[in-house]
Amino acid sequence: MSLPLASPSFARQLSRCLAADYLKLRRTPALWLAVAGGALPVLLEFCIFFFRGNVILRHHAPPWFRYLSASWEVAAVLLLPLFIVLLAGLLVSVEHRATAWKHLYALPVGRATIYTSKFLVLVQLLVLAHVAYVGLLIVSGYLLGLLHPEFGFQHQAVPLGAIAHLTARTFVASLGMLGCQYVLSMQSRSFVLPIGVGLACLTTTLPLLRWEHVGWLPFAGPLLTLQSMREAGAELIVPAQLAAHEIGSLLWCAAAFLAGLLLRHRNVG
Amino acid sequence: MPETLVAATRGLSFSLGGRRVLHDVGLAVPEAAIYGFLGPNGAGKTTTLRLLLGLLPPPAGTVHLFGHELRHHRAALLGRVGALIENPSIYAHLTGLENVEATRLLHGLPRARTAAVLATVGLTTDANRLAGHYSLGMRQRLGLALALLPDPALLILDEPTNGLDTGGITEMRALLQHLRRDYGKTIIISSHLISEIERVATHVGIIERGRLCFQGSIEALQRMQETSARLVLHTADAAACRRLLPEFTETALPIPDAETLVLPRLSRQQVASVVERLVAAGQPIYQLHYQQPSLEDIFLQLTTPFAA
Repeated sequence: MSLPLASPSFARQLSRCLAADYLKLRRTPALWLAVAGGALPVLLEFCIFFFRGNVILRHHAPPWFRYLSASWEVAAVLLLPLFIVLLAGLLVSVEHRATAWKHLYALPVGRATIYTSKFLVLVQLLVLAHVAYVGLLIVSGYLLGLLHPEFGFQHQAVPLGAIAHLTARTFVASLGMLGCQYVLSMQSRSFVLPIGVGLACLTTTLPLLRWEHVGWLPFAGPLLTLQSMREAGAELIVPAQLAAHEIGSLLWCAAAFLAGLLLRHRNVG
Repeated sequence: MPETLVAATRGLSFSLGGRRVLHDVGLAVPEAAIYGFLGPNGAGKTTTLRLLLGLLPPPAGTVHLFGHELRHHRAALLGRVGALIENPSIYAHLTGLENVEATRLLHGLPRARTAAVLATVGLTTDANRLAGHYSLGMRQRLGLALALLPDPALLILDEPTNGLDTGGITEMRALLQHLRRDYGKTIIISSHLISEIERVATHVGIIERGRLCFQGSIEALQRMQETSARLVLHTADAAACRRLLPEFTETALPIPDAETLVLPRLSRQQVASVVERLVAAGQPIYQLHYQQPSLEDIFLQLTTPFAA
């Protein structure tokens, strides 16, 4: 029997998978979680500053530095890891719940493509959450300046450069976590297991923060990045170069991704 | 000239968790056949069908689709196959239409296919409802719509009538016949009930404990049915009659009741001679007829080794 045996290229398969994955995001909590995950820490910190700003910013402390670091601390230590654990679980559980793997693997797209596409969607949602967070943080800072001119937000330029560096590096620092949680969620049909493991990792990492090698643990990444923020006079400084723990995060992400890929090939559809 | 095989396996063996679930299965599915793949639950039907789709780790033996080995041309071959394995894979949070769209995008097919397959399975009016609210039968039809999307030359359906009511089963049967007759599709359909497929199947494969114990056209199965027909003789004293026919001591079947004698299938001359000898010995013959086993009986005979 003659038939064309050329398979579609990887790029074409990937764009098909991505289109289908975007469609599957409709009406899922994953997309909302990405936006809400960015908005929640801003809202919390906004309320704290709105009501207690006069205490926090006593002695003419530079408002942007205080506001950014306080907000980032809440976001990086607790909310970002929780957000990643939940997001990876939610995104992958859509396929588990529909018993869709056997269907997807019998379609003319490779397993590696399906796996990569889902991961890219997850990374994009993480980007979306970061953008939403930073955007709202800056807007809320302006708003505080309007509502409470005595805080002095308007007298200081928004440290956009420092914010951009911090955001980009926090993103890189959280990719290790993201990779691990993605693979875990892929491997487990149950929604509870990856979330349980993620929470356990987070709670064991926090007491280990004083350990000199904590940088190698993926769940410590965003917090260690925050520690590289410095105040020099009225300036806020965040170096652009990646720190060792951020390179470590990238390695974790790559290793988890490859391990997951190998496991996917062995998995029963 | 040998028939063109759309799906063929050679020496297919497979173990799951240390247990051998398939032994040397050699499936041969000719073009434009409706191949009824029969076997009791747990005989290895789903495993075989999953292997045909490359869903399990590579087995011992080979799988050929459209004459090409599956493991070397996976994506290209699967582009011409539609499959529904076990329960349909349906996203409850999407509408019926969105479910079809998700699969259509993965195939890279034109948008018009979505409406076409929804119409084929009769889901056009319910297309914009959430699939999570569908009935079992509608879910099954949606699963079939997903399988039909690429206009596949080969359709693999694993127990597609599961959960369907009588009307649904009749509809499904009509749809399969239509697809084969009008579009020349090859269809593999598995079932644990022969009655469900004997009216549509052109070919039959019967699997039992991981071994293929019959494979051939439905006519071949029917011939088997004829050759296992039995001659039933109603008389006054079956035991006495049996003694009068010493050549059948070995082959005659146990006497079901005192007045009924059951003999294997005989030639016309043999029947005449049996009747003549019994009547000559003064045994009355009230009734004489052939009893043909149903396909169901044949199926049971093949799949339950100790039944016969």
